[in-house]
Amino acid sequence: MNKRRTVATASMVMAGVLVTAGCGAGGPSAGGGDFTDDKVVLALLNDASGVYKDVSGPNSKIAIQMAIDDYQEKYGDEAVVDDIEVTSADHQNEPDIANTKAQELYDREGADVILDVPTSSAALAVATQAKNKKKLYMNVGAATTELTGAQCNKYTFHYAYDTWMLANGTGTVVTEDGGKNWQLIYPDYAFGQDMVKSFTGAIEAGGGKVAGTIATPFPNDNFATYITKAGAAKPQVIGTMHAGGDLINLVKQYNESGLKDQGIDLAVGLMFISDIHSLGVEAFEGTIFTDAWYWNLDEKSREWADRFMEETGDRPTYAHAGNYSAALQYLEAVQAAGTDDADKVVEELEGKKVEDMFLRNGEIRAEDHRVIHDVYLARVKGPADVKEDWDYEEIIKTIPAEEAFRPASESGCSM
Amino acid sequence: MLEVENLSAWYGEAQALREATLSVAEGEVVTLVGRNGAGKTTLVRCLMGLHKHLTGSVRLDGRDITTLPAHKRARAGLGWVQDDRGIFANLSVEENLLLPPRVSESAWTLEQVYDAFPALGSRRRAGGTTLSGGEQQMLAVARVLRTGARVLLLDEPSEGLAPVIVAQIGDIVRTAKQSGIGVLLIEQNVRFAATVADRHYLLAQGRLVESLDNDEFVERQDELLEHLGI
Amino acid sequence: MNAVLQYTVQGLAAGSFYALAALGLAVIFGVLGVVNFAHGAFYMLGAVAAAVLLDTVGMSLWLALIVVPLLMLVFGMLVERLLVRWLLPLDPLYNLLLTFGLTLLLVDLVKRRYGVSGLPYERPSALDGRVQLAGVGLPVYQLFVIGVALLVCLGVWLLMTRTRVGMIVRAATERPELAGALGINVGRWVTPVFGFGVALAGLAGVLAAPFRAITAEMGSDFIIILFAVVVIGGLGSIVGAVVGGFLVGLVEAFGQAYAPTFAQVLIFVLMAVVVLARPAGLFGREEATA
Repeated sequence: MNKRRTVATASMVMAGVLVTAGCGAGGPSAGGGDFTDDKVVLALLNDASGVYKDVSGPNSKIAIQMAIDDYQEKYGDEAVVDDIEVTSADHQNEPDIANTKAQELYDREGADVILDVPTSSAALAVATQAKNKKKLYMNVGAATTELTGAQCNKYTFHYAYDTWMLANGTGTVVTEDGGKNWQLIYPDYAFGQDMVKSFTGAIEAGGGKVAGTIATPFPNDNFATYITKAGAAKPQVIGTMHAGGDLINLVKQYNESGLKDQGIDLAVGLMFISDIHSLGVEAFEGTIFTDAWYWNLDEKSREWADRFMEETGDRPTYAHAGNYSAALQYLEAVQAAGTDDADKVVEELEGKKVEDMFLRNGEIRAEDHRVIHDVYLARVKGPADVKEDWDYEEIIKTIPAEEAFRPASESGCSM
Repeated sequence: MLEVENLSAWYGEAQALREATLSVAEGEVVTLVGRNGAGKTTLVRCLMGLHKHLTGSVRLDGRDITTLPAHKRARAGLGWVQDDRGIFANLSVEENLLLPPRVSESAWTLEQVYDAFPALGSRRRAGGTTLSGGEQQMLAVARVLRTGARVLLLDEPSEGLAPVIVAQIGDIVRTAKQSGIGVLLIEQNVRFAATVADRHYLLAQGRLVESLDNDEFVERQDELLEHLGI
Repeated sequence: MNAVLQYTVQGLAAGSFYALAALGLAVIFGVLGVVNFAHGAFYMLGAVAAAVLLDTVGMSLWLALIVVPLLMLVFGMLVERLLVRWLLPLDPLYNLLLTFGLTLLLVDLVKRRYGVSGLPYERPSALDGRVQLAGVGLPVYQLFVIGVALLVCLGVWLLMTRTRVGMIVRAATERPELAGALGINVGRWVTPVFGFGVALAGLAGVLAAPFRAITAEMGSDFIIILFAVVVIGGLGSIVGAVVGGFLVGLVEAFGQAYAPTFAQVLIFVLMAVVVLARPAGLFGREEATA
């Protein structure tokens, strides 16, 4: 009988099933004329199968293709390059896989720019590759302010959002609206700790205080007791810094706890429209969060969202729109520079004021490469107010671009 | 009623039984004597269908059961009492008795069992393995009698038991014999074997070396003991 | 004091999922000797099935509590017949690998079909709200979960101790070969027992649907805790699985309350302590060395 040995082996088997990363990359491709290989290659590197798949994932490739189509339609024969390709890779949210894939994309696949890269640790790994290879990198999916802070570099740009912007939007506004006394619940890893720091700063700046913080394991599916504990301190607001499946677990169990009836609100640090879509508006009704973009914001965004829906069957998240915008602005810069040479394209991008369906009052800040733009404070609608699928957000405030992001002077970035 | 012909068995490459041929008739008690490792237990496991790497044939009441799975052999009338008694710890004494299905009209009723083994009746609700070793042996034998098995395969029933209990086991074997049950008794205890058996097979190194009736067996007892190294 | 009552209810509610699923795991392990790695995936399938049935045919939780376990019973029996059965004569490691592979397959299929963000689930309004007890509002749904779990555990216990089927399963769990040699067709019970174990995982999944994020990955961490539960309770022990399940739920809740970051670690500390003191688990039996 070797049943017990079998169970002991179970853990070893689990440990043995390791994801092996791809192997090394070839040498850098030789530069010819104005365009390496006579073409421009845009590479999407993101989570194609895990928790962030629905937020961005393969649909972002379609968004990038839409940008290429728009560029070609706009310039036609005037376009400085005819051959534009989009390629993609799955980094599984692992920094070392992201690192290897980035090398492969730059070296072997001749990528001129890498786009998206959610998960902060993976995003920072790719920034290092971009710096070493002197190739462009436009991050859309990650939240860390390090990309435009201590770890900034000449070839890295940060689109869409970051932890400072989320905390500033939700923390400051909710506090100013009277939610002075906070309890924060956060996942105990880099992102969560970063968010707590940013939120605490924003809440205190708004005249409120963080009376307590609770770190939870990550990932986790049982938050009931954490919530009870936070509620026992009688705060006005419980702020959660969880994302994805953990956030859904937490919200379900918050609704269960009855704290809502006691007037203790839930504020969410980071939420995507795909979260609301999957759990339903009932569960999130009234929750306040900061969004980088909303598909039903106005005619311009809605028009693009309709096109996106024709292609994919879903409404776009901010990440899909952000990848579209990043790809489009990259191609515009290539057009202006007349080359895909990274240094010349960076020159075109730096300091540029931009207006497109994603970037409103946008500017690609030269000092730290933070792409700033208007962002939105949103409240999740109640079921009665939802008029169609994906019609989930009521925009209660537009935060102007220059207030929405950390000032360049505080970034600590030197290139 | 039980006939075994040219039975050979292997564990991997090693041959454990070599062309054993033996039989047990109705109402007959036959012992299989041999030292440890001679192949006694292998033979019983072959008969029960628990060891499958074999050649030869096994017949019960003329029916070839060589390829039947264990539970069908039990239902055909083979009653096995294994050498560690095989009492289920998770079952009470009574559940241990009730577990195997009845296989013939001659099956004992619970009342008969409790009459014959009062110790079991008084502990019927107790966990099977809370009984003493002797009581567990009684329970194991009673369990196969309750099914109405036609042939009993008893694997070293006297092992580790006090003489008074061994005597009781002898009584049960004789009772079974009287009711027409055939018994194949695996024994190292030659003295006990001589008190109950009609015939004896001597097994050495997987081979049946001799077949003796009980008188011969008793006569040559000392010689056999030495020969077998028991 | 009030908080302690709340934590206890929360712990027992979380423990209910563990107890039900671990019960299935224990029964399967007992009779087949198979460490069913796919048990977490079956739990996930139960929750997903409940969500999909609610969405497509409007099946309520009440009905799903009966229908989904039945579907999972059939599914489990098919898995046993088509896959697990062929590897039973081999080293148990083969079935561990098979069920591990099955987990990856099921998780990926669900991701492909239903995405990674999870599915919505709404429970009947009768289970909304809270009951006031000693000045504390206790969620009705948590109490309901505990009630269902206790009832099912009681039912399984009666089935195991008071019926012939239970007697056979207990015997086959303890010594399958001997049970066979006594005339029990152990093979006949293997398929339904596997299906039954899977159905229990599915039931835990249905109960979890209104309470937990319904995603393809929801079983991945669950199965790890479940292994801890069966090791604490004793491998193959039915009482052990239930006691272990509720115990782990309570440790998790009180760990969250008093040592938040170590809540999950505490479970494995408990496991280590139990294994050191009683290697066979709280209710396990030392196996005789044959």
